Amino acid sequence: MGISRYAMLGAFALASLSLPVLSANAEDVTISVWSLDRDIQPAPNLINDFNKLNTGIKVEYRQIQFDDVVSEAMRAYSTGQAPDIIAVDNPEHALFSSRGAFLDLSDMIAKSTVVKPENYFPGPLASVTWDRKYYGIPKATNTIALYYNKDMFKAKGLDPDKPPQTWDELVEAARKLTDPAANVYGLAFSAKANEEGTFQFLPWAQMAGGGYDNINSDGAVKALDTWKTILDEKLASPDTLTRGQWDSTGTFNSGNAAMAISGPWELDRMIKEAKFDWGVALLPVPQASAERSSAMGDFNWAIFSSTKHPEEAFKVLEYFVSQDDRMFKDFGQLPARSDIAIPPTGEPLKDAALKVFLEQLKYAKPRGPHPEWPKISKAIQDAIQAALTGQMNSKDALDQAAEKIRSVLG
Amino acid sequence: MKRILASVTDGKGFDIGLVLLPLAFLFVMSGLPLVYNVVMSFQEVDMFSLGTFARPFVGFKNYVDLFAQPETRPILVNTALFVSASIAGQFLIGFGLALFFWMNFPGASWMRGLFLVSWVMPGLVVGAVWNWILSGDFGVLNFFLREIGVIEGNIFWRSDPHYSLWAVIIANIWLGTSFNMILLSVGLSGIPKDLFEAAELDGANALQRFFTITLPMMRSTIGAIIALGLIFTLQQFDLFAGITSGGPNNSSNVTQYWAWDLSFRQYDFAKGATISVIMIVFVMLASIVYVRSTRHEVRG
Repeated sequence: MGISRYAMLGAFALASLSLPVLSANAEDVTISVWSLDRDIQPAPNLINDFNKLNTGIKVEYRQIQFDDVVSEAMRAYSTGQAPDIIAVDNPEHALFSSRGAFLDLSDMIAKSTVVKPENYFPGPLASVTWDRKYYGIPKATNTIALYYNKDMFKAKGLDPDKPPQTWDELVEAARKLTDPAANVYGLAFSAKANEEGTFQFLPWAQMAGGGYDNINSDGAVKALDTWKTILDEKLASPDTLTRGQWDSTGTFNSGNAAMAISGPWELDRMIKEAKFDWGVALLPVPQASAERSSAMGDFNWAIFSSTKHPEEAFKVLEYFVSQDDRMFKDFGQLPARSDIAIPPTGEPLKDAALKVFLEQLKYAKPRGPHPEWPKISKAIQDAIQAALTGQMNSKDALDQAAEKIRSVLG
Repeated sequence: MKRILASVTDGKGFDIGLVLLPLAFLFVMSGLPLVYNVVMSFQEVDMFSLGTFARPFVGFKNYVDLFAQPETRPILVNTALFVSASIAGQFLIGFGLALFFWMNFPGASWMRGLFLVSWVMPGLVVGAVWNWILSGDFGVLNFFLREIGVIEGNIFWRSDPHYSLWAVIIANIWLGTSFNMILLSVGLSGIPKDLFEAAELDGANALQRFFTITLPMMRSTIGAIIALGLIFTLQQFDLFAGITSGGPNNSSNVTQYWAWDLSFRQYDFAKGATISVIMIVFVMLASIVYVRSTRHEVRG
């Protein structure tokens, strides 16, 4: 007891001594950055490179876990310990910006020669926007499209160069491709009761003219009915209801599903694991010539309004943005920008897939933005699950969701 | 002053100090969070008021809102079913195994030790393993049941609302059985052997010996185990996170998982706290049973 107490006191004394010493011998401004990037992902590497430039700004990095991002950030902000810069998931962005926790960057962006709003895809840009002001900068982006197994298409007499274009064609193809004797389902996707389910369902609703603020529109009901058909006829595994996108696509890679709906984060694993010829197609639309849509994922950079060095923090962000052209080559992530041409990787399947994903990104829409997005998302998940388990019909389930969402939107 | 000092080093003051120290520890580590939780359930809490105590009080609004939600009743029913089925399964199988190893055949104590492996494994690992076993298309359990001819088609344990809760219950029974077995084994070995010898001489058969000696002598142990089982199953969170995430459509959702989901997924901390308060009431009841049955043990 005694010894440990003295040790503690000693540590405190040392800490309080060393703090002023450290900041005294370097006149650098220290900027702290939190994100969930691991050592092979952008943030820590870009920070290392930035620190080597000796700009008079020293950046410190802290990695946080995906599940902890919001709660850690909130706790830090409400106790005055917030970092200068943080990366948050795009549907959570509005939660912070609407409460003034993030700094309004509009003026700095207007003056900046590096960050130009017109360079960004509209979806990611909308997610950092609140009340027509910019509260962040998109860090990277992703979306979902349809992967399909070309070998299986050939085996079942389907044209491997003509993937399904509409929902009807998708269901029809799934029927042909499903082969219970060989343990093959037509389609793999995720209707899990978490953000992933919302992420996968919203594009369908949006393509048919619905949206989170209009979730019980006829189009959205038809979308959910289509999902129900796929599950009722066992064209997709019943475990779709409890399985995330990564695990679902795993069954595609192992040849147990002929098509899969997922994002570009699957590419590297698929190239390694899939022992067949595959391709990527745009998400099928309700009927030919219907409006396209897709989901939009990934994180945004933001500066906390409590920062003491907004100018320097923005300079760090400008550096990150200036390195966007490395994102795909070095880290396998898609920059959220339409003005960057991504050079070929030399892997033909990956390059072909990239082209489709970039096309699909043009139609990607953010979830929200709304400060209470988790509650809206939960209402949508509940509706999907209630309908797909057969406990309610699609119309009633979505009506109920619309009711809940209306009370959130106020 | 001297007297006080003397009393502290050797006397009543020392005794009081010994009691106060753990009490203070308990109060800081358990009491304060508990009180804080109860207070939070009467407040309006959001992410930004998380750091302060000065939050608007809303009376019983959180409780009223909670019970107005359509999923509340099914989730409470699920919790009751989960707890009672888990305890029943764990206890019966655990008791059976304890009696079996009590026969003291060669290697009995050694094998009994091996059973503890399931108890040592982290809950999330157990959840992940059972997730694979219970998988609908490629799960081992379905394969096994199909081979012995119990089922025709695959059962989608995790995704069929009729089975999802039972999937977690099966995993939880597996997880908790060994703990029950060990505690019951200890209870069994505490029964004096001469009682059985005397009964045997008087001509009591095995069944009579079990119901007239074993069970009555084990009463306090059984009470304690069921109370502990109630607490442990009400705490069981990892398996839900690992196997069904409470789905599909809340068919396998229980209060402890729901409280987490409300607090940390939807950031509705007040409702999360409200559910916790309701659970505290049940755990308190279990604790009373536990304390009473162990007190009985000391006197007997």
